[in-house]
Amino acid sequence: MRQIYLIVFLFIGGNALAQMPTDALMMPHGQLCILGQYAQSEWENYWEGEKKRSNLNLGTFSSRSALLMGNYGITKNLNVMLGVPYVWTGADVSYISGQKGLQDLMLFLKYQALEISAAGGAFKVQATGGLSTPVSNYTPDLMPFSIGVHSQTASLRAVLNYTADFGLYVTAQAGHTWRSNTTADRDAYLFDNKLIYSDEMPVPNVFDYSARLGFIKPRYQAEVWYDAFTGLSGDDIRYNEMPQATNKMAASQVGFFGKYFVTKRLGVLATISKVLSGRNAGEALSWSAGVTYFLDINVPKETAAN
Amino acid sequence: MKKIHILPVLLGLGLVLSLSRCDKNPPENPAYAPYPETRLDSNAGNWALYKLLDGSGAATVDMAIPAIPAPDAVASPAYQAELDALRAAMSGASAEEKELALYWGGNGVLRWHEIARELAANYNVPPNYVYDSTGNPVYPPLVFNPANPDAYPRVPFANPPVTSRLLALLAVAQYNALVVAWDYKFQHKRLAPYRNASDITPLIPENDLPSYPSEDAVVAAASREILKFIFPREVANVTAKAEEHKKSRLWAGANVQSDLSVGDSLGRAVALSIIDGWAKKDKMGAANNQAGFQGQKDDATARGITKLWTSRDIPSRPPMLPFFGNVVTWNFDNATKIALRPPLPPQPGTAEFEKDMNELREISKNRTREQLRITAYWADGAGSYTPPGHWNRTAAELIYENQFNEIRSARAMALVNTALEDAGITCWDVKYYYLLPRPTEMDPSVTTGTGIPNFPAYTSGHSTFSAAGAEVLSYLFPNDAPRMREMAKEASESRIYGCIHYRFDCEVGLEVGQKVGAYAVTRGRNDGSDE
Repeated sequence: MRQIYLIVFLFIGGNALAQMPTDALMMPHGQLCILGQYAQSEWENYWEGEKKRSNLNLGTFSSRSALLMGNYGITKNLNVMLGVPYVWTGADVSYISGQKGLQDLMLFLKYQALEISAAGGAFKVQATGGLSTPVSNYTPDLMPFSIGVHSQTASLRAVLNYTADFGLYVTAQAGHTWRSNTTADRDAYLFDNKLIYSDEMPVPNVFDYSARLGFIKPRYQAEVWYDAFTGLSGDDIRYNEMPQATNKMAASQVGFFGKYFVTKRLGVLATISKVLSGRNAGEALSWSAGVTYFLDINVPKETAAN
Repeated sequence: MKKIHILPVLLGLGLVLSLSRCDKNPPENPAYAPYPETRLDSNAGNWALYKLLDGSGAATVDMAIPAIPAPDAVASPAYQAELDALRAAMSGASAEEKELALYWGGNGVLRWHEIARELAANYNVPPNYVYDSTGNPVYPPLVFNPANPDAYPRVPFANPPVTSRLLALLAVAQYNALVVAWDYKFQHKRLAPYRNASDITPLIPENDLPSYPSEDAVVAAASREILKFIFPREVANVTAKAEEHKKSRLWAGANVQSDLSVGDSLGRAVALSIIDGWAKKDKMGAANNQAGFQGQKDDATARGITKLWTSRDIPSRPPMLPFFGNVVTWNFDNATKIALRPPLPPQPGTAEFEKDMNELREISKNRTREQLRITAYWADGAGSYTPPGHWNRTAAELIYENQFNEIRSARAMALVNTALEDAGITCWDVKYYYLLPRPTEMDPSVTTGTGIPNFPAYTSGHSTFSAAGAEVLSYLFPNDAPRMREMAKEASESRIYGCIHYRFDCEVGLEVGQKVGAYAVTRGRNDGSDE
């Protein structure tokens, strides 16, 4: 694991998915990378449907998370990642209690299907499959304060990367996340102006994609990226109301990522990103900072980090 | 070195593309399929009608009974021609129309209450501030503009008082219209078409109820007129629904056209009587008298309230319907309402007040997941059918489970929903009599589990509504009485868990609500339905 940043599912308490599965880097065989990361996302303006507004009764909304994640190289072409964030939310004006708790346990398998040396660099094709499940009984029914939508997910994504030998790289990835329906605390809610007599809420599936351009050397890495996600179904936030898990959320954002290895084993990283456009989402400014540490668990002698 | 494992990647991409278009919809609502109505209640034409208001707001006026023409005899060519038209309508019905025959063919009273709850939820949109020409946030007036009906704020704002009144008017119009219809049914005794022509097999269960005038057309027309009156933006929508309801009786083979036409006139006439004789005289027009609010504050201060309620909204929002407490109640008179007023709430600084305030401070810091669930389950806030709608739904579910016929359904809904509006009026009277601030105003360190309603705390509306609803439902469905009372208690406590009410708001609200409900029960015991 060399980098991680968080796609901001903005109303879902932020930082819902670690998108490390979206990069093109693989852990070597037998090596484990541990990541500890703090992330924060804040917005004052948000999109109620497609209409941008602020809310004097909410003020600035913030979502913070602390993530612990591990990435292990089963082989040089197959990595497994496991992580869980602790999330807490709040707003500076609203009188509604912010929520906090362990959110969703995430498991990813990343597989490098193809690596071709070409034109002074290497071209890679990878596929990532992921699963997640809530690990606490948090409420999905107090958005935007809920720390998530309390849905089980499965995702598939493909990553294409070209890295020149001198360090410049480009990466493109796209993924699809299936999300199970969630159980609201209410047993009646409006969906698209229709009154639904059930506590079962459909949570839209999500398509996301991103493009990155960066430079990587053994001691450091720097990258700019653009990414976007959109719910594939769902309704809009109703006029002057709170969001709910059925909403079709979408956002695009740009960001910067930097990483520096203090030692061969210890790295520090930081990200900053800004939402450009959205729907049923906050116009968030997000940043994160973290450390990574490499451990040799079962490394063949010739590839050990030290 | 290169390794090629392209196949799994292609498979994965194919799966992504094939599933990425899939759509997700919420679960289907319960169908409420038709059931046989075995109980005829042939004397229901004698059940007591709700009286209308005189000029002073007292319910002393007997409703005028609309006249209807005598039906054509079964053997008459006119009726036989109607049967032929019915056969044609049935054989010409599309698959979709046959489904609509089942959709409407169950309990029409409940179907229209379902429609009303959905409308209420859609119109339960709290006003948002807008910026005036000087850049200050202000609330636009809540006035319906026919030239721009889709503009926000939508009118009416179907908050709990407005919804309670809507549902009561709907239920009373349905009930009074059906009582009159029942009288005519058993006066004329013209049975359903399938009883008069052996070749007509209806799509819905048969019964021996005289079908002239059609109870479905009566309910459709009465409901349509009330909903048109309350929701000026929905005139076309509810008119189309009523037409569909009536036509569905032809597709189902359950009524001939004259059953429906006469039923429509009768239902419409009764609903217009309710609108003119109640809804235009019940003082709802003055319920939002913001100019009178200062007087209420002066009076509350004179009563010994040391700190008066102010809006928690930013910018400060005009209080919700400060004079709804003056609206005329259904099941008791104004003097009774005043007698139901509880004493002064505990005041800040007293041990009694601090005890309940401390409970909230504790919950606010350590609200459990279960407390949060209960808060949300009963919140029935913006975008919902409100607490009166919640109890309306509970009543409808019990009526369906117990397979009440149309007139008993209407009676039950009238008893429940008039009690709910009475509860709202009684509670609002108390709220603006004492003007007690919300807990978060007394101690801003308290945070809530739901939105803070824009009106004073004492007493709890949820508690008053719920106890009144539970009291009437316990009378109507004795087997469910313990469950109803449990539900009311939980609804009441949900407001403590949410930290938007003191425990004394809720306990007193429950007590008063139960007394309010008892007046509707007394009416129910004496309306002639047990004879």
